[in-house]
Amino acid sequence: MATISKEELRHLAELARIKLDASEEDFLIKDLGSILGHFEELRALDTSAVPPMTGGTDLKNVFRDDTERENTNRGAGVEAFPEAENGFLKVPPVFEE
Amino acid sequence: MEPLHRLTIKKFHDGLVAKEFSALEVAQAYFDRIKEKDGEIGAYLSTAEASAAREAEAVDIAIAKDETVGPLAGVPIAVKDAILIKGQPATAASKILEHYEASYDAGAIRKLRNARAVFLGKTNMDEFAMGSSTENSAFKKTRNPHDLTRVPGGSSGGSAAAIAANLALGALGSDTGGSIREPASFCGVVGLKPTYGAVSRSGLIAMSSSLDQIGPFTKTAEDAAILFKAIAGRDPLDATSADADYRNIDHPVLNDIKRLTIGIPDEYFVPGTDPAVTKAVENAVEKLKSLGLSFKRISLPHTKYALSVYYIIMPAEVSSNLARFDGIRYGGTGKQHRKNLAEIYLSEKGLGFGPETKRRAILGTFVLSSGYYDAYYDKAQRVRTLIAEDFKRAFEQVDVILTPVAPTPAFKFGEKTHDPLSMYLSDIFTIPVNLAGLPALVMRATTTLAAGELPIGFQLIGKKWREADILGIGQFYEQL
Repeated sequence: MATISKEELRHLAELARIKLDASEEDFLIKDLGSILGHFEELRALDTSAVPPMTGGTDLKNVFRDDTERENTNRGAGVEAFPEAENGFLKVPPVFEE
Repeated sequence: MEPLHRLTIKKFHDGLVAKEFSALEVAQAYFDRIKEKDGEIGAYLSTAEASAAREAEAVDIAIAKDETVGPLAGVPIAVKDAILIKGQPATAASKILEHYEASYDAGAIRKLRNARAVFLGKTNMDEFAMGSSTENSAFKKTRNPHDLTRVPGGSSGGSAAAIAANLALGALGSDTGGSIREPASFCGVVGLKPTYGAVSRSGLIAMSSSLDQIGPFTKTAEDAAILFKAIAGRDPLDATSADADYRNIDHPVLNDIKRLTIGIPDEYFVPGTDPAVTKAVENAVEKLKSLGLSFKRISLPHTKYALSVYYIIMPAEVSSNLARFDGIRYGGTGKQHRKNLAEIYLSEKGLGFGPETKRRAILGTFVLSSGYYDAYYDKAQRVRTLIAEDFKRAFEQVDVILTPVAPTPAFKFGEKTHDPLSMYLSDIFTIPVNLAGLPALVMRATTTLAAGELPIGFQLIGKKWREADILGIGQFYEQL
């Protein structure tokens, strides 16, 4: 049965950009273990000949005309930035020096 | 003026155009009741009295000028806090969005605005729509109006409770795995989860994009048809939305409805279901037989895998949809003294997300990660096909499928919070519908309740784009 180790959980949390404290780690290891245990039932099904359903819609190739459009709400939400300058969001450096 | 508990959208419209009351008077009556009652219920996270009064007054002016107004003009509506109304808060009941104010209207809101509805405020929910009891809200508890010691269901618990407690005349919720239908059942109101693509998802804070749908809560199936018809239709801002013919959905013809065959799937009547639920559903079946509908036993053999499939696909989509909440945009707190972006993300998400949100984001990251993708995500997508095909085959024999909504009536606060799996099981009868993209209607199975008795709903599942069948049955059922 699949389980998640503490190292693995820390790696996943890092990928998800979520900082966890020690007690959250313990709970998550336990919860994820029992949830993954539940998923084991899927192994019993042979799905090699079944195509995956990759979304909710049957629509295909939804196109729009390539024409000039009215404003697309550009700039909306800038007021929700903590720091902005000339419509641009100010953030700390992405890469450390 | 009709007392609020007896008002429906239909009656409101008739009274409004007959000038028996004004839209402003009714809006004011709802705000008075919210002030009196919502301290106890906790349906709303925020109210918008000033803008609602302006919206109502505009309708009253139109009526005074003898303009023709549509069936939703002046109708006081509550909106789940995951759906954006320009200028109003939209927190999705998450701390990370505590200071966010929507910068545009959701597609469904735009349509309601054109129909001149009045927006009372935003309702409580499980954080980011993740939960079945509204207990995962970062801000408050919502109580079930039928029993204050019990949950209203979730995730759209605030919207369901608002209708049940007469704190709104109609409401919008969203349903990813049962989040409209389970609270409708627990609160004894009507709830509709539309066909995937029937209602625009633009401006709905996304949880699981291949499953999410916005839908109405109302007191009657007729009201649900009116509200659904107004929000349905293609929106260029949601490429998965489409137009369907819903013209006569609020005027069903009895002879068309009588011709329908209803399937009862064996797999939905399983041990572990509360006997009161089974009894209530049987009661609804008997009533429907009196309308002349015929019934047939059917099988949906892959039903038992739906929960596993859902708890792989949904968290996978959650993990990418929640990436945008970085603690900076959408009213971030701006704790910018940290030295780089990654550090802001880590700490803001760590503080801003609740336990269930973290659990799902991390589970989703796991099932999509290299080495596990095939065993979990790809596998789940294939089994999702099998579940959708079960319904397709069943709909060759029957027109509508009738099932329970949840294995139990409303449960007590704290009863399931200790064990995520037991909470997830609340949705076993509703999840398959989302996986297959079908519409489903929930109505009360028992119309009168004995003292201490809790409302229980039943579910009518329709073919894709055939909301007319389930709403049609519902509209004749409620006249019985």
